[in-house]
Amino acid sequence: MKVLVSFKSVPDPYAGLGDSASKSVINPFDEIAIEEALRIRERGEATEIVGVTIAATAADEQIRAALAMGVDRAIRIDDARALDPYAVARILRALVAKEAPQIVLMGKQAVDDDSNQVGQMLAGLLGWPQATFISKIEFLENKTRAQCTRETDGGLEIIAINLPAVVTTDLRLNEPRYVSLPGLMKARKKPIEVLTCDQLGVTVQPLTTTLSTSRPPKRAAGTRVESVEELVAKLKQEAKVL
Amino acid sequence: MAATLVLIELDRQQVKRPSLHAITLARQLGGDYALLVLGHDLDKIVATLVSYGASAVIVADDPALAEPLADRYAKVIAEAARQHGATTLLGSSSTFSKDVLPRAAALLDAPMLTDVLAIEQVNGATAYRRPINAGSMVATVKVEGNFCVLTARATAFEAPAADAAPCPIERLKLEAATLADGMQFISREQPVSDRPDLTEARVVVSGGRPLKDPETFERLVGGLADALGGAVGATRAAVDAGMAPNDYQIGQTGKVVAPELYIALGISGAIQHLAGIKDSRIIVAINKDPEAPIFQMATYGLVGDLHQIVPQLIEAIRRA
Amino acid sequence: MPSPSAMNNATREVFGNITPWMQMVFFVMIAVSIGAIVWQVMGHVQLWRKGRAGGFEHNWRVWILRLMTYALAQKRVHKKSLGALLHLLLFSGFIVLTIGTTLLGIAYDGPYNFHHGWYYLIYELTMDVFGVAFCLGCILAMYRRAFQRPASLGHNWRDWWLLGILLALGLTGFWVEALRMHYTQVQPEIAHWSVVGWLIDVTVLRGLDVPTAQTMHLASWWLHTILVAGFFATIPVNRFLHVITGPLNIAVRPERPMGELVPLTMEEVERSGRTGVAELQNFNRQQLLSLDACMECGRCEDACPATATGKPLSPKAVVVDLRNLMSLGGGNVHETIRDETLWSCTMCQACVQECPVLIGHVDLISDMRRDLVGEGKLSGPPAKALQQIGSQANPYGRPNGDRFAWAEGLDIPTVESNPDFEYLFWVGCAASFDPRAQKVARATARLFKEAGVNFAVLGKEETCTGDPARRIGDEFLFQERAQANVETLDRRRVKRIVTPCPHCHNTLKNEYPQFGGQYEVQHHSALLAELIYSGKLTNDPGSEPITLHDPCYLARVNGEVDATRAVIGAAKDEQYREMPRCGKKTFCCGAGGGRMWFEEPPEQRVSNLRAQEAIETGAQTLATACPFCLNMMSDGLAGMPGGEKVKVLDIAELLLSRQTPIHANGDSNKIDE
Repeated sequence: MKVLVSFKSVPDPYAGLGDSASKSVINPFDEIAIEEALRIRERGEATEIVGVTIAATAADEQIRAALAMGVDRAIRIDDARALDPYAVARILRALVAKEAPQIVLMGKQAVDDDSNQVGQMLAGLLGWPQATFISKIEFLENKTRAQCTRETDGGLEIIAINLPAVVTTDLRLNEPRYVSLPGLMKARKKPIEVLTCDQLGVTVQPLTTTLSTSRPPKRAAGTRVESVEELVAKLKQEAKVL
Repeated sequence: MAATLVLIELDRQQVKRPSLHAITLARQLGGDYALLVLGHDLDKIVATLVSYGASAVIVADDPALAEPLADRYAKVIAEAARQHGATTLLGSSSTFSKDVLPRAAALLDAPMLTDVLAIEQVNGATAYRRPINAGSMVATVKVEGNFCVLTARATAFEAPAADAAPCPIERLKLEAATLADGMQFISREQPVSDRPDLTEARVVVSGGRPLKDPETFERLVGGLADALGGAVGATRAAVDAGMAPNDYQIGQTGKVVAPELYIALGISGAIQHLAGIKDSRIIVAINKDPEAPIFQMATYGLVGDLHQIVPQLIEAIRRA
Repeated sequence: MPSPSAMNNATREVFGNITPWMQMVFFVMIAVSIGAIVWQVMGHVQLWRKGRAGGFEHNWRVWILRLMTYALAQKRVHKKSLGALLHLLLFSGFIVLTIGTTLLGIAYDGPYNFHHGWYYLIYELTMDVFGVAFCLGCILAMYRRAFQRPASLGHNWRDWWLLGILLALGLTGFWVEALRMHYTQVQPEIAHWSVVGWLIDVTVLRGLDVPTAQTMHLASWWLHTILVAGFFATIPVNRFLHVITGPLNIAVRPERPMGELVPLTMEEVERSGRTGVAELQNFNRQQLLSLDACMECGRCEDACPATATGKPLSPKAVVVDLRNLMSLGGGNVHETIRDETLWSCTMCQACVQECPVLIGHVDLISDMRRDLVGEGKLSGPPAKALQQIGSQANPYGRPNGDRFAWAEGLDIPTVESNPDFEYLFWVGCAASFDPRAQKVARATARLFKEAGVNFAVLGKEETCTGDPARRIGDEFLFQERAQANVETLDRRRVKRIVTPCPHCHNTLKNEYPQFGGQYEVQHHSALLAELIYSGKLTNDPGSEPITLHDPCYLARVNGEVDATRAVIGAAKDEQYREMPRCGKKTFCCGAGGGRMWFEEPPEQRVSNLRAQEAIETGAQTLATACPFCLNMMSDGLAGMPGGEKVKVLDIAELLLSRQTPIHANGDSNKIDE
């Protein structure tokens, strides 16, 4: 079974302000997706894991990291534009047509954009079943179907989906492995294929544009209150949270 | 015909109240809006939806829609949008709407914005504010194209008033045969609790080891959480001591939460716990030890014995 | 009374009853059995040679010193226990008997027979006394094995067989002696010197006729000889191999500070494709040899905090399992030793400290951990900590820009504002970011200011020493941090460093030289003690019962126990009491080896065990000198009945609170609100 894992290079969510170099990392949810693909392969259920990202060359470090974790080969679709999820989904559709995987895995959302749309949109465009926010996946009936546990507001939901399908991963699915030097060294030998949208035969324009960004007001220094009454009053009037 | 279609979410055969808040966004956008609800055996539910000032309540009622399978729902939603000539599709942010609406957006060849907080007019065009970078920043975004899909963060919009004259109910005709069947529902495990999900609750009340035992924990932490309509969390120490189940744990090795209001009862504020709450908007700490590290991070700190303070606090909140 | 000349002529006939043919057979047997030893030992040597070259100490003076200290003087064996006593008896008995027999052989075969006169008499007495010691040792060993049954000893039928043979050797030796004395009709005044033989002679053998005695002597002599030869031949297959491999390892194990782990080079990684040990032969030859030196005494296991808390780690089992793997010809170590076992280690070095044959368990575990990390077998909170060291230069994941936040309001000199500093105050990540430990940084800084120490901090230029990375197993992340820090320290012309964290202290002092960083590094206890001694600070004792938890990396690994006690004025404090396991033999708090970042189920918490010890001392204050210990002990005590009353404080906080009121009133109120 061929597994396609889509991942995004995002600014390190843990890097603080005032740190000189802003590092990029693989989107943590996508890392979970890559880890799951590796585990599927370790169980003997996958034969090839292909990683794909849509980015400029700056993302090569993250691609190497994905290869270092164990992805067999990687594809970088060269596009430096700020793409919205629908544009990404359309590009991925073209790649899926080319690679023909049995399953597409990706994180449920990117931690920079927090949109949580690409997987579902891709599934809609392909007409494939989808399982979102999964915390568990098992393959059934000779890998023609998968049973997925999804984390929903109301609790855990278990569904079965026919393959091929698109699956997005949630936090509790697994804990990604730590990658250090030997993995990175092996990764140097693995191929990274660079494709353009033209080569895939897809032309997209993003339909969403960010006009500006701003920071919400900083956390003010705290105060001590002396009584329950004072606390409730402040919560009500000052914080406006009651 | 309505410009905006608002998807209403159901939970256990009842309307999920936060999903109604999207109606407020629809009202702000202006123009006619219709409500859309999918499921099975919906008559009673639909009757409660007619007073929200919609031009219609569109109902897709079919056994095949008894469970919210995304492939079927998205198809029906897209069909409903097309039939009604809508140009905007709305929902309230939830795992349900995030599951089906993007797929519907793709079927409608439309872009989508998640977690809209507010709308703005920028240079004469409508723009939307939404959180990015795990809420540490807010982006103002504009959308092009003939159709757009939006989910609204329920806590950013007020509950809509339901005082309009009743509107008509339209039933969508569905061809069951054309509904997809690549997905099957198997089961659902819903915790007995009525409390909101810890990671998405607006208010979280957490307890630490000083709560002593499960009964006291439930009485004080649970009691305060219920008074505020919030979720219950715990420190690792409390979980280890058997006071709270493992899925209540908040912190570096537990859940990370960012509620509007986080109340820490008897929590000293070990660095591992603070990692799980640092993005909460308001943090209240109640602790016997005036030098407890949590006071460094708390918006409001009250030093004292929580066993005395918490019952008083519950009382005061009920009165407020 | 026998004449002096009779005593001078006292001697015995050697091989008296043994015909030349028999003597020939005897020598052949002994030669063959010794050959068997050599051949089997060579077999072991072949196994050791499969390892990577190197790892040996080359300086023969060091060998001699070590052999005298650990092999002859048995330094590590001495303890108040039955095990130590019986080993002393067995060891001394065995050595003396062996030397004695050798001397007899030299006297018999050599140019000059000196085996007579007073020498002979003293010889006889000595041999008998030590023979008794030997037999007593065997009996005590059997008793311990049968009745005390300590679990860490390991119980195997082979052990009984070995003890049995040893005892049989001892007893038949006396039996043969007695029979010889009987049939040669030794004069009583000479016979008395061979005490045991004489006693047996005059009791059991009384009335036995000489010919029968001679025949019995011959038979017993052959029995004894066969036992000896047989025993020799099997030395290599049982615990007794340690008499050869033990001293060997004692001599050649590398000379290195306990807290120093060996760096890995890129060349090694490129050559083997792995970091650390995956196959047994990835260990070096000295390490493989050390596996064979283990005699399974179990002292390492007895000292291990992981074993004590029910984790799947016993240092003895690690060594024995690897040794068994080696005897099978090698293989993948991870198939023998579970990942969990390796992760459980706190690297407290108690095992290394206890081992009588100087095996380096921690190095073995560290090498295997490096491979696990290299192969992606680490995930969860410790992986997160390493990732954070990589991206934010601290394991807590806090922005490096916050590193100086602890100093707010204190006007602490930085290397920028005070470039002519004498001491570089290295704060460490814990004291920089952990609110509880920040108080230690503040107290220390205030004390230094109080005492007029010319110091400075690096502020935001300080980054994690990399110690957690090295202990958890990402050697290259460690090297990255180390190189960056050495560069910063050298650029700032740092010569002397003082730090409140024993892990930083150990790494800066013992490991940074690997990267060209040569600094004089002190733990803050040492400098504070100096300041007290020179009168700049006072350490009048408090009034509450107080005890001290020695941090492993300060006390055991770096041997520093006096300064901490001096800082809290232990010597003049009537209320001071020691923990049961204190000083260099302290017991771990559980945070070392990167364990600070691992999840641990409550019933397995090392800190709880140690907290219980603290509570039992009756102290109301627990002083410590490490931010990790501070954290662990606070948590541990807070969770135990009776523990909530115990205040946990760093020695700096305690010392600050004892300075005269004008200067300080504790680090409470204002600053931490």
